[in-house]
Amino acid sequence: MKLLGIILLIFSPLAQSSSSLYVCKAVKAVIYSEAPIENIEATSVKGFSVIDLNKSEVQFNIPIKSFQFKKSLMQEHFNENYLESDKYPNAQFKGKIRESIDPTKEGNYPVTVTGDLDVHGVKKNRTIPGVIRIKDNSVTITSKFNVLCKDHNIDIPQLVFQNIAESIQVTVSGTFSAYKKP
Amino acid sequence: MKKYLLSLLLLCLFFSATAQSDSLMQAMSGNEKEPVSATFKSSRLILSQTTTMVKKHDLDFKVAHRFGDIGGTDGGSKMLWGLDNSSDIYIDFEYGLSDKLNIGFGRSKYEQLLDLQLKYALLQQTTNNGAPISVALLAKAGFTPYKVVTNVFDDYMNRFSYLGQAILARKFSSNFSLQVSPTLLLRSVVPAGDEKTLFALGAAARYKFTKRFGIVADCYHPFSNYRSNSTSTNFYDPLGLGIEIETGGHVFTMNFVNAKAIVENNFLPNSTSSWGKGQYRFGFTISRMFTLHH
Repeated sequence: MKLLGIILLIFSPLAQSSSSLYVCKAVKAVIYSEAPIENIEATSVKGFSVIDLNKSEVQFNIPIKSFQFKKSLMQEHFNENYLESDKYPNAQFKGKIRESIDPTKEGNYPVTVTGDLDVHGVKKNRTIPGVIRIKDNSVTITSKFNVLCKDHNIDIPQLVFQNIAESIQVTVSGTFSAYKKP
Repeated sequence: MKKYLLSLLLLCLFFSATAQSDSLMQAMSGNEKEPVSATFKSSRLILSQTTTMVKKHDLDFKVAHRFGDIGGTDGGSKMLWGLDNSSDIYIDFEYGLSDKLNIGFGRSKYEQLLDLQLKYALLQQTTNNGAPISVALLAKAGFTPYKVVTNVFDDYMNRFSYLGQAILARKFSSNFSLQVSPTLLLRSVVPAGDEKTLFALGAAARYKFTKRFGIVADCYHPFSNYRSNSTSTNFYDPLGLGIEIETGGHVFTMNFVNAKAIVENNFLPNSTSSWGKGQYRFGFTISRMFTLHH
């Protein structure tokens, strides 16, 4: 049993020091659709994300219901008719950073992340570009990419085709802080 | 034994490290209570109003129409199954003073009734059953501006009627919503023997087959001795069945209903048409939502 105690002593700080983990609880996501009749924009600030710089892993989760539209009827239709947020409450992404990053070195790192983008219950393997910025012990991520409605089985009826673009531009940004065990 | 423990411990450490970002993600996805939206597509079904509110600074313009009897003595092919007649036409404006308070103004063909109403969203159903139902309170004043030949209604003050209603609704699933509405109707002057204070209970349900198409059923029962005992005139409970189609900013309801009138102040006391006698009619409601702010 003594041995066990020693092992625990040796390993416990090691487990603690694995804080290459950075978290952000206020990920900002903006979706933008440009169509002949009207441009539509909605913003969510309730996404959350974890990034593990040692393992080069990134995870995002954005609650669909947290997107705020200017027109409340649009927001209702977005949830009810298009994204079906009762059935599929979250948009998620989990991927690996392909470039190597030195967490101890400040700077801007342009990266590409490959992984599964899950929107409307349909997973799609994507490689998404972004920028990771390391400065003053904090990490900032920004990324801009497009999501095709048909890739995720989001039907747009012919009748409203003029109002909604087939390709939606998504901008994600967040400032992360080092995760400390509570 | 110790070796075994050691490997177990290492295994635990290994797993705890790999699953760390996953468990962190899990921890952050605290089950937040979210308001349940779109219990009904529109603030009106066939007979009933719903808990669905017109949002702040939106204007809901509605036109509702009821044709004549399809069958019976007033229907049939001569009247093109009621399409030659209109038993009621209702034009209604409903405006969102806030997300929780709506004001409405409407005019009926039936007795030329003008009505002004306030609707307040008292409770909003939330996910995780924080609030199991939505509740809206409704107060409406009705006024018939034109003289009726029967002398008793000549005085202005005698032509007012007041409606108070609580609407209790629950969205059971994304497809099925149900509501119950206890209702009180006060009329200033009534025919001999009739109750000035009329209590009624409404019930309505919507089932969606697709995201934009569903069926609705809607009925009311007034609790009235005068109505159940009346022999000279027969009264029937208003009952409507219909379909609902939503296309972006419009909601269309097409229905069959026995009641001739569209507004509660009219159809609760005066429904004398019977489904059994073919005295039901085709009707529709068109709702168009305008956003008045940018």
